[in-house]
Amino acid sequence: MSLQLIYHFQTSQNQDTEFRPASYGVVYFFSESGFIDRNLLKEMSKTVPEADHERLTFLSLDDLKIFALRVCQEIGELEVRLISVQDYNIGLDGAKDIKSFKALFEKYGELVQNDSAKKKGLFSKLFS
Amino acid sequence: MAYLENAKHSDPVRPGEQWFFYWKTSAALWESRILQFPKEEVIFIPLNWGFHGDNPGSWDFGSTLPERDLLRLTGLLTHHGRKFCWILPLTAAPHLPNGGAPAFAARTLAVARSGVHYAVLDNEMNLNKMYSFFEPKIFQAFTEFLKGFGTFLGINKIKSPVWGAQFYYFEEGELNSFFEDSSFAFEQGFSRYLKKNHPDGTELTNPFLENELKENFSKEVSDLFVTTAEAALGPFWMGVRKIVSLGSGPRETILRSISSGKSQLEYTRDIFYHFVNSNWISSALLSTDEKKECLSWILGEHFGPREIEEKYNYQSYNSGLVEEFKPFGVIEIFNHKKQTECLKSGLISYLDESFRWLYHVQEKLPFTPEWIDSHHQKVKIFVGASLDRTTFAQMLKLFLMGQTVLLDKTGLGEGLDKKLQIFLIENNLKIQSVNYMTPTQLCELGEGKLIIFEGEKLHENPAKEKFWGHIFKFLNLVQPEIKMDHDVFTMWRIRGTSSHELSYLDVRRVNIYNPTSYKKTVTIKTNKNFAFMKMVDPTRANAKSNSHGVDVELLPHGKIALDFGHYEER
Repeated sequence: MSLQLIYHFQTSQNQDTEFRPASYGVVYFFSESGFIDRNLLKEMSKTVPEADHERLTFLSLDDLKIFALRVCQEIGELEVRLISVQDYNIGLDGAKDIKSFKALFEKYGELVQNDSAKKKGLFSKLFS
Repeated sequence: MAYLENAKHSDPVRPGEQWFFYWKTSAALWESRILQFPKEEVIFIPLNWGFHGDNPGSWDFGSTLPERDLLRLTGLLTHHGRKFCWILPLTAAPHLPNGGAPAFAARTLAVARSGVHYAVLDNEMNLNKMYSFFEPKIFQAFTEFLKGFGTFLGINKIKSPVWGAQFYYFEEGELNSFFEDSSFAFEQGFSRYLKKNHPDGTELTNPFLENELKENFSKEVSDLFVTTAEAALGPFWMGVRKIVSLGSGPRETILRSISSGKSQLEYTRDIFYHFVNSNWISSALLSTDEKKECLSWILGEHFGPREIEEKYNYQSYNSGLVEEFKPFGVIEIFNHKKQTECLKSGLISYLDESFRWLYHVQEKLPFTPEWIDSHHQKVKIFVGASLDRTTFAQMLKLFLMGQTVLLDKTGLGEGLDKKLQIFLIENNLKIQSVNYMTPTQLCELGEGKLIIFEGEKLHENPAKEKFWGHIFKFLNLVQPEIKMDHDVFTMWRIRGTSSHELSYLDVRRVNIYNPTSYKKTVTIKTNKNFAFMKMVDPTRANAKSNSHGVDVELLPHGKIALDFGHYEER
């Protein structure tokens, strides 16, 4: 089972004299059980101190991956796929039905594996 | 039985709300499918306008493909004595391939607020992608289609009404139009709009100004689709209806694609939100699996033929009470600014606690004789910021007609405030004033009550709900008291009494639904004004009466209805 994270890249902005640097923002973050609770996401984003924890934006793609992996570890999933809005849209363009829609995440998503969950086999789980 | 019930509510050709998707079945099967509709029901035919066009300027209503033969379709409907009307999409329509746009005009995919393309799973789990209605080719094709369709109706003397439909989705507690778009086609159109309206150039350094201009542009184009349709189909045109398509938002597409799907509880929450906010819904996208049990009961019992035909003005409920149950509510709120004032003043949270699902929020006051009569007993609440001169005058007329009106003066324009003072003086109204949390004035004229208060002063008051408690105690709105979990849902109906129920003023029925996977209990206190009469149609539920009222136990996905006789307090 894997998590899916759709993100978008936002260029730097000047709003009301407030400067917002370019960032990677979470659009949708979900597992096979549904969307991941936003409060949990906010809490996990604290793994990356430079992130905007309220808006769930990160200064670099690496920071976003660190955050995604942290969520993956917290939930105990094996992997997370990150897909940009642009790639998601390209995938949608070619999708026809639910099957091809679901496949787009595998086709276009960048996989980040949660090694700690992999190492934890059945035997270690029994004794943890 | 459950299968038949579910099948009635979900079928690719008859997907719900009396809609008939003529293009989804062979024309040879039209007759048998039409006969599946109960004879007395109006059949709504959503126009798949893009389906009728192969090339620009050429529209086919049956000369090449039998599935496009609308003359044969209307002939069958007329032959079998069926009432029918057309539904013409005025935005991208989530139930149609390409959102309705013909393939030759579908160039640019529309982009939702979140940046993703609109893509919707239909009831067969096919993906419908929406194309931007800001693409000039789509407007051109739409205009040509209207011309062709109008001529077709005229030549063939088909006197069937046409309703325009604007489609919406519900996401993160907000209604969003499928017209909303931030695609390249939109940006290009916006750029042309700016050049036309600001020929000397305008600098968009302020994002708020930019958003405002974009909203104005979007509204102008949206209005253009409406006025063009109205002009082309004048004799057949009935008006525009906003339709919220369940399961159609970008977030819902993802949710519906995963194995857990969108739960019955989440759909039920959405439906009740739309019920309170007077939004009309369509369940056309939901599959048989999604439309099972609770959802199918709620849709069938409260969004069925009677409600549908009332929504489209085919019939209206009697203003008085008859022996047939009709929807029951006690409060109408008129506020077009997304309930903000009502939320801040604590009104909504009070109503959610004490009159849950017994109030409605509306954007516009439907000041028609039928509406005034049938809603006479309801308390009407107005917010100053939402009032224009016409609605303000209509509000005062309602008071003069003997109705109960509450006016929150927050945001009331200076001119209207002066008019209000003049109205009070001219009518020589005796004003009783109290200052409890906020200055409040009460005027009475015959049966009419006008309560004026400053809701703004309640915003920061932590005990603001007490204010509403006193107001509604004064208004004496009697209703059985219900204690229940937030994931249990109730819908009230009312009817007049029959000859053997003369000791009652009216009979009220509450339908209780548990869309969760947990057992739930509900306690209903009848107080002094109600007597428990009977339970109706329990499914995985049970009710026991006691000296205070009724205790209900609902198993997962259970439902029950209870009838209460309402009598005058002695």
